[in-house]
Amino acid sequence: MQVGDKYQYEFEVSRETYDGFLGIFNDRNPLHTDKSFANSKGFKDVVMHGNILNGFVSYFVGELLPTKDVMIIQQEIKFHSPVFLEDTLSFSATQSAIFESVNAVEFKFEFINKNDNRKVAKGKLLIGLI
Amino acid sequence: MDILNDVNAIFRDVLENDDLVITPDTTSADVEEWDSLNHIQLVVSIEKHFKLKFSANEIRNWKNVGEMCDAISLKLSA
Repeated sequence: MQVGDKYQYEFEVSRETYDGFLGIFNDRNPLHTDKSFANSKGFKDVVMHGNILNGFVSYFVGELLPTKDVMIIQQEIKFHSPVFLEDTLSFSATQSAIFESVNAVEFKFEFINKNDNRKVAKGKLLIGLI
Repeated sequence: MDILNDVNAIFRDVLENDDLVITPDTTSADVEEWDSLNHIQLVVSIEKHFKLKFSANEIRNWKNVGEMCDAISLKLSA
């Protein structure tokens, strides 16, 4: 794993993902569950939970990196635009630093909505190599 | 540059303890929040702040904050 290494993947916010998140975490705020409420706040439909994206980040760390000997130490994410059901997100992550002293690597990542090419979220990860 | 002062600010930020005061004699046993995962974040923040890199061997023998600051000073003067 070297600085500059880039990873790309596509995630769909499927009905299964949305229902699963609702079922597990039970965040039924009307912004996420009531279309008329979401409309009244200026959104075209119910807005997907931002933390679904953190689940996708977890998949990236646990499944897409070339080693399984990893553990998330620190994670930051900023949300820029809403995501709706069945949107497809283009995820990219670039290794931005390596810290040999503590066996850790840093990634910067972003999600782009493929429907309109808008940046949905971006963030930073510090991953320990265990 | 007051290295200890800068390191203290980093400790406060990473360990989320605005009242923390460290001295050269401070060890991880003296600071409840200074656990193994926070140690990784501390070293990463120190390397970023001072724009330097340590090796695993260089940090392995740090016994207290004073030795950490001495190592930073040595790197900065190299």
